[in-house]
Amino acid sequence: MARQPSLLIVDDETNVALTLQMVFERDGYAVRTANSCASALKLLQNGHQFDAVITDLNMEKENIGLEVARAALQLHPKPAVVLCTGYASVDNSAAALQMKVDYLATKPVDLDELKRAVRRLMAFRE
Amino acid sequence: MSEPIKTTKTALIVHADMSVLSAFQSSFVSKGYVAILARDLPTALLALTQHFFDVAVISSRLAEGGDGWPLAGVVHLIFPKAFVGVLTPETNVLTLQAAINNGVTQIFDASSNPDHVVNASLTGQQAGPSKTSSEPGTSIH
Repeated sequence: MARQPSLLIVDDETNVALTLQMVFERDGYAVRTANSCASALKLLQNGHQFDAVITDLNMEKENIGLEVARAALQLHPKPAVVLCTGYASVDNSAAALQMKVDYLATKPVDLDELKRAVRRLMAFRE
Repeated sequence: MSEPIKTTKTALIVHADMSVLSAFQSSFVSKGYVAILARDLPTALLALTQHFFDVAVISSRLAEGGDGWPLAGVVHLIFPKAFVGVLTPETNVLTLQAAINNGVTQIFDASSNPDHVVNASLTGQQAGPSKTSSEPGTSIH
């Protein structure tokens, strides 16, 4: 039996995290959620492995989602990392490009596009 | 005794302007690279089927209305260890988003000096074995 792909969704808006959790669970993913950067970092640094991480950008602080992305990108095996934000700027987008974030989705998120992106990234990741 | 395996690396350069292609060609060849040139999307796609690329420098605007961003994405998917640089007339959120979502390594201003872009490309290129075996030179498709 194929292993269920695992996903970490990080968003301080509980409704957004739960909606994404429902959408991806319906597609067969095992989903964990975190409602802050701090909670996400605990999960990432405590040996939990994820195939993909979807994180909001602005939570406890502006652009703190980049910290989640940085921590995820340091893991081995490296999960696909997706940033979701309604506040993309040249500075935070340039930082995301430089740290090799895999995908930048702007809110309001097109769920079909997001699902396609996650599926494609997971298929091609190392 | 068998021939030693040569490890010359190959760069793909895609730009609508022949003079820009020529400048990049000179710069890559001076660094010992084989340079494969293309002015438009079909030619570049054909080149992807015929060569192994270590570096690609692609203009976001190609001949005949071609879009360089999805081409960069295709290069990244086929050659995930290659350095993929895109030349773009402006840096804004949309171009940065296109870069991230297409697996681009770095974006450069369209008016950047080719030597600067080539040096940055070679510095940023991930180390890895090359399948190429030809002498430094240039192919124009």
